[in-house]
Formats: sequence, structure tokens, C-alpha cells
Amino acid sequence: MSDEKKSGTELHVLTAPLQTETIQTIRRLADNKPKGFWGKLTSNLQFIRGRGALEISVVAVVLLVAYSIWSLADPENFRFLSEQNISGVLTQSVPLLGILAIAVGILMVAGEFDLSLGFALAFNAVIFIRILEWTGNIWIGVIGGILSGTLVALINGLIVVWTKIPSFIATLGMGFFWGGAGLFVNGPNSVSLPNEYTKDGNLFHFTFAQDFGWFRSQIIWLVIIGTLAWYFLHRHKLGNHIFAVGGNPAAAKAISIDPNKVKLMSFGIYGALVGLSSVIFIARIPSVSPAGTTTQDFTLFAIAAAVVGGASLVGGKGSVFGMIVGAALIELIKDGLILGFDAGIYLQLFVGVTIVLAAVFNKYMEGKAS
Amino acid sequence: MSNELLRLDGVTKRYGPNTVLKDVSFTINKNEVVGLLGDNGAGKSTLVKIMSGVVPMTEGSYSWEGKAVPNVNRAETERLGVETIFQDSALVPQMSISRNIFMGREMTNALGFMKIKKMDDIASEILDTVVTIEGIKSSKQLVQSLSGGQAQAVAIARAVHFKRSLLILDEPTSALAVRATEALLDYLVQLKSEGVSSVLVTHNLHHAFQVCDRHIVMNHGKKILDVKREETTVEELTAAVVGGAEGLEKYRANKKK
Repeated sequence: MSDEKKSGTELHVLTAPLQTETIQTIRRLADNKPKGFWGKLTSNLQFIRGRGALEISVVAVVLLVAYSIWSLADPENFRFLSEQNISGVLTQSVPLLGILAIAVGILMVAGEFDLSLGFALAFNAVIFIRILEWTGNIWIGVIGGILSGTLVALINGLIVVWTKIPSFIATLGMGFFWGGAGLFVNGPNSVSLPNEYTKDGNLFHFTFAQDFGWFRSQIIWLVIIGTLAWYFLHRHKLGNHIFAVGGNPAAAKAISIDPNKVKLMSFGIYGALVGLSSVIFIARIPSVSPAGTTTQDFTLFAIAAAVVGGASLVGGKGSVFGMIVGAALIELIKDGLILGFDAGIYLQLFVGVTIVLAAVFNKYMEGKAS
Repeated sequence: MSNELLRLDGVTKRYGPNTVLKDVSFTINKNEVVGLLGDNGAGKSTLVKIMSGVVPMTEGSYSWEGKAVPNVNRAETERLGVETIFQDSALVPQMSISRNIFMGREMTNALGFMKIKKMDDIASEILDTVVTIEGIKSSKQLVQSLSGGQAQAVAIARAVHFKRSLLILDEPTSALAVRATEALLDYLVQLKSEGVSSVLVTHNLHHAFQVCDRHIVMNHGKKILDVKREETTVEELTAAVVGGAEGLEKYRANKKK
């Protein structure tokens, strides 16, 4: 009797309604791949959008088209499409800010900042020129500048990783330190690249600032660094670890990725790129103040470029493509304001508004990404 | 020949002045599902972190198949074949499902560049075979766009894919639907026959009782009960979880009457 009752209840449990219809409608993920040209295109666009670079690229392209139309309609007053503007301004300013944005962007993906960038930029330039003076060999100087950048950033990084104080504060303080270090090494006079290195026919000048008509050497550097950085950040396992650590350090640690090592590596890469930028900077503008007063602006412009390009302020998000587009957008806006409105002293005001708008725009779009 | 897989001896864990675990010892055997039970703050999650090598113990020893493992860390436990599903799912929200699954264990070529397509395809396959959960469109989807249950499923799929000898599950069913939970519990029993042991940490005594061969009850950082399924009842376990050592004694005294 009791046995019967037991089996009765068990039977009841077993015959609880199984939702077989829903099971049948589950599609296998493996079969769910995008098909055809349009399927792949939309899937790829969604992918870029999820990484925060799609909308801002559209804005940059629209701006570029608008400038071009304006310039074609009024070539006398709005000289955007002139060789002088494209080669003399854009292909020099965009690469420098672009490489700095990639440097800062990689660090931001790892969840850190470096506010000493502007000072470090000057300090590396001082080291570069000093080594050139001591050795007489400009290429040893170039290597010295890049090593100096790496070392400066690694020291900043070690302070952040060891003390666990926010990189915001640590690098704010260290910025003044590196500015002072520049003065200590060089004295208050600005450092200059000797004239022989700023002339056509010089290999150094050819490598870092040659005028090829419609473009200059710097744009080639942006292409090289951009490609390398893209392969590193988006395709190499170490880049993947940077995203993991910036997105959720606890999760990375639980899977045996050491967040401290990854952060230090990010500081190192960032620093090497800042060192290279110092060389590129001084090859174009052959004189720099050791205290960092002429380079200070780059700190926030580079962070702004990365943010405009979709990098997250709290880490774990960003794309090399977006960083470059962000830098290009900022330089395009500056260029247009100068050419079209003679914006002069109001330039910063417009650039500031644009950066805030772009950040709000990205934040708004973030909720819609998949 | 011993059947022992993992043994903890006299494990104590202190965070500053707080002692979270006091002299805890137990063994996980091969081909066994062990339930780790206890109220909030009993020290279950800390114990999980120690077993998986994420957090070092203050005192005590860790041995694997009878051999002492001196400095336990995550790299070491990974080598031993231990996989853990953490309560807070331990995924990176801004990364895609497949990158989360292969995080830290990327499939790469000799230069360290990832085989993205292969990883995406295998991630899809893992999700299809291990967990049947609806609403995931592609393994390229970002984890932040998933629901709690879907994210949980991804974490489970990852651990199940990489486990070799011991699977630790910390509250794995908290965000899962009823049917997915049933499937997971069935899966633990199936794993046992494939030679993989598991530790199931849960609040839900009924889930634990359904599949576990042995139950360990923790209370205020101490082990108060370690008993085989045949020798206990849901009522006794409830008394131990809710009332601690006192509750357990009371229950046993009442039962004798």
C-alpha cells in the first residue's frame, strides 16, 4: 500500500510537464553563424559597435566629407584640401596624437592612467638630445629616448602596483617629479635638435619628418604602430590579458593571470610609445622646454582622444582603431576651427565641448551595444 | 592504495584580526560528489578559494593524491586539474563569451597570436553540449549583454571544459532556472563515473542531498559535520546548518528520546 503510494508520487514527479516544444526551438550556436555578405557585414558592424568605435568613425567621416565639400566650394578661404594643410598640418599632428592615444589607450584598457605624459614627453626628449650630444650618434639617442620613456613609465607603474594608490594620484605627483628631473638634467634652457638633423637628405629627418608632398613620414609611423598595436591588443594573448585585467582583475586572478604583471607590462608598452613620440615630436618641432610646459597639453588630449574613440575610463574597453579615429577627430576639429573660423584663443573652448559631447555620446551608445 | 584526491589538514585562515577558518580538515576522494554546506559567513567561499589556490592559507597543509603541495597557488591547482565556478561568476563583462571561456588559456600559434575563429567555434560547441540555455546568440556576444543565468552558464561551461580531476562549484545554481539546475546536478553524477570528483557548495539542502555522496557542514569557520549520505537525513543537515553545533546536538538528543 505504502509502496504503491510512493511510486505514485514518483510517477507524478516524472510526469511533471516537460517543455519539449521549447527544447526543439533552441538553435545550436554552432549553426548560428552569419551567412552571406550582408549577414557577415552586419555581424562585423555590431562587433565594432560593441567595442565603441563605430559611431565615432561615422562622425569623423561626416566631418571629413563636410570639410572637403566646404573646401571645394570655397578653396580660397577654407584651405582644408590644400597640400599645405594636409601634409603640413594633418599628417604631422594626427600621427603624434594618434600614437600617444594608442599608448594611453592601452594603459586605459588595463584600467590605469598616466597623468605625467606631458612631462615625460619632455624628459625623454631631453635624454634623447643629451645622449646625442654625448655619443654623437643620433640613433643611439633615439634608442635612449625610447628606453627613457619605458623606464619612466615603469617607475610610475611600480609605484602604482606596489602601493596600490590610484594611478591618477601617483602619476599626477610623478608628473611634477619628471618635470623637475628634466630641469635637473638640463637646466632651464630649452633643448634643441642640432640643425643638421632638420634638413632634407638627413636620414633621421627622412625617417621622422620627411615631406613627401601630400604626406610626411609621421603618417607611416602611425600606420606601423597602429598595425602592431592592433595585432598586439586584439589578437595576441597578452593583449587579451590586458582586457581581462582591466575588465575584472579578480576574474583574471582566479584564472591565474597576475594583474600586477599585466599592469606593469601595459605601463612599459605605454612608456616605449611615449618615448618614440618624444623623438617624433622633436623631429618636427626641434625645440622643447625641459620642464614640460610646451608638451603638457598632450596629457589630456591623448586621454581625450582615447575616450572619444570609445576607451572606458574604468578599464576593460577600447580599440586601437577607435583610439586613432579619436585622435584624428580631435585634430580635424582643431584644424577646421583654425582654418574656417580663425578660432585662435577660443580653440580650447570648442575642443573641450567636443570632447564632452563625444564622451556623452559614447556613454549613451554603450547601453545599446551587444 | 588510497582513494584520496585532495586533503586539507588543519587549515586556518585569518584576514587581519578576523579568523575566517579555524583548523579545518577534510578529504575529497576520487569519484565522489561532496556537498559543502553552511549558513552565510560560515567560511564556505574562503574554503573554496583555498581549495582552488586563489587565496593562500594562513596555517595548514594541502595535499594531492597523498603528496603534500607546499606552495598552493592557482597555477599549481590548474596543473592538478582543479576548476572552480565562483559565486560571483568571475567573468569579464566587457569581453566576449569565447574570450571569457579561453581567458588565460588562449589557443595560440607559436608566437602567441590567438586563433580567434577556432576559439569562437569551440566556445559555441562547448555551450551547445554542456549547458542548454536559451537566448545566447553567438559566442562573440559580450558577457555584459547576458542575463545572470546565461553568464552563470558560461562560467559553468568554462569550468566543465577545462576540468580534469576536481570541479568545485560555489553556489552554481543561484542564478539558474529549474531545468538548467536539474541538468547540472545530473551532470555532476555523470562526471563521477568519468573519474571527476566535485564539491558542491550550496544553500539548497535539497539540491545537495539529491546528488552528494558526502556532506560537510561548516559553521562559524569550523567543520561541525562530515557525514556520508546513508548516515544522515535532510532534517539532521538542516539542524546543523541552521543551528550550528548546538542545533545539531539538540536535534540528536531529541531524536534519541
